Amino acid sequence: MAKLSDIQNVFIRQEIEEYLERPEEISRNIELFSRAKVSMQEIAAALIEGEDDKVDQLTRNALDQGIEALEIMDDGLISGMGIVGIKFREAMIFVPEVLACARAMKAGMKHIEPILSDSGVEPIAKVLMGTVKGDLHDIGKNLCIMMLRGSGFDVVDLGVDTSEDEFIDAIETHQASILGMSALLTTTMPNMGKTIEALIDADMRDDVAIMVGGAPVTQEFSDDMGADGYGKDALSCVTLAKKLVAEIVQ
Amino acid sequence: MNSRDRVLAALKREPVDQTPVCNPTSVATVELMDLVDAPFPFANRDAEGMARLAATSYTELGFDSIMPVFSIIQESSALGCKMQWEQKDNWPTVRMSEPIWKDAEDIRIPNDFLNHPDIVCVLDAIRILRKEYGNEVAIIGKTMGPWTLGYHCFGVEPFLLLSLDDPGKMMVCLDRMKEATVQFGLAQIDAGVDALTLPDHATGDLVSGEYYKRFLMDLHSEFVETIPVPLILHICGRTIDRMDYIARTGMAAFHFDSKNSPCEAMDTVNNRISLVGNINNPETLFAKDPIDVRNEVFANLEAGVQMVGPECAIPLQTRIENLIEIPHAVREWHQDCAVVT
Repeated sequence: MAKLSDIQNVFIRQEIEEYLERPEEISRNIELFSRAKVSMQEIAAALIEGEDDKVDQLTRNALDQGIEALEIMDDGLISGMGIVGIKFREAMIFVPEVLACARAMKAGMKHIEPILSDSGVEPIAKVLMGTVKGDLHDIGKNLCIMMLRGSGFDVVDLGVDTSEDEFIDAIETHQASILGMSALLTTTMPNMGKTIEALIDADMRDDVAIMVGGAPVTQEFSDDMGADGYGKDALSCVTLAKKLVAEIVQ
Repeated sequence: MNSRDRVLAALKREPVDQTPVCNPTSVATVELMDLVDAPFPFANRDAEGMARLAATSYTELGFDSIMPVFSIIQESSALGCKMQWEQKDNWPTVRMSEPIWKDAEDIRIPNDFLNHPDIVCVLDAIRILRKEYGNEVAIIGKTMGPWTLGYHCFGVEPFLLLSLDDPGKMMVCLDRMKEATVQFGLAQIDAGVDALTLPDHATGDLVSGEYYKRFLMDLHSEFVETIPVPLILHICGRTIDRMDYIARTGMAAFHFDSKNSPCEAMDTVNNRISLVGNINNPETLFAKDPIDVRNEVFANLEAGVQMVGPECAIPLQTRIENLIEIPHAVREWHQDCAVVT
């Protein structure tokens, strides 16, 4: 079993020591970073610090050195974002800091994505993501999309202010297996339930697994309106999407 | 005491005969729109319609206050933001993905800001309500704080990133935008409001309590000095971590969200500011029954919350019976207390 001291990057070691509290997350991250190349640890550290220029440079350097795009994404960018997600979940950092980290991740992903899409790697599943009708907020949705894409999902972004009909049309057009709906406002949250009702009326409810999220949304609200799952943040959105895919496969 | 006396006393944490019922954000619903033939978006842009719909909180629901500004976008419209006025069953919104400003230097409060039709509409609605209801019910206006204006005018993401990338410039932006807050607030006082809600969405879901202290606490204190009516600060989400700072601003009241327990909130503010709230909107008022509403009203009253009402602007499809239950429950609770004493 790997030890914290096996991680060469001092900053990453400090992050794990200082911010991670759950034993399973500590051991998973120690395992992950201890086997990652030093250059990948540096990418993760720069991402956690929100340094987009540095992530951009380090990602290009790593590709120039012949490191596989998938390895850079998994061991550098996604693993760094994993720590960011935990810190956000535990309210150690807030949305501005997460946005800076997301900007850094994008700086790296812009070099990685074209390579991965050319390589023909099969996505885990196709996910539709949209903010519901009447709601123009998209930060949370965009963070989820970034994490889902980074985790191997093919995501179609339906944008903000998405009507019930637009959700239905997108399901028919894209043949996605998961639909994700987001709302930031208590005033627009009911539109999630209305969309689910519209899907039932259109006899399409069983065509997709539905996950919901957004600052005011709760597990209880999700259950009441008949969603298949609720994710509190971008990290749990990825976990939930993987769980829903596993249930679909079964 | 009449409704207005009750609200004004509660804002000063003075004794009241009965806890006032108040929503300093909005109680507009589709049912109420139908009742007085004042649907959205008409009621957001026509003074008569706005006044008619706003008055229903007093005439139909039995609340102690009237709030004519249903949304949070009147100023942003006047500042030049691209708007989506929507239909009867949806809230008007600002197209934040098409921001009008990118830098502090871009910030301009137009000379004719107060003459914009969406500002004039609010001012005229307040005058109509004051004329109609005199001093029997509290008329509360609303002027958006600079943090919320920043979301609308810069876009949420660029605005929040600016706070990290260049905190100094962020302070300059807030300082320049505050002019809109003050101008609109003073104009509503001239039109006849008794108090003003000042929403400034430095919400617990987006930024930390330390952010509130760093960027907004002093600005909010400044508003207390420059806007001479009781101010009710509204911030959504979990806000316990900033309530101590909020209580230091001198604001008359804080409108708090159901993510904060009434007892914990009362302990935190420790009688330095009145609290208004905090009946849950999406799960209780929108989706549950009057009995559930009553339980939440009682929890607030037992905690000593000075004004009881929904936690925020309510979903438009909320049933009237759940809203009416709030003043019913308040009366019942006070009657039971009187019997006990």
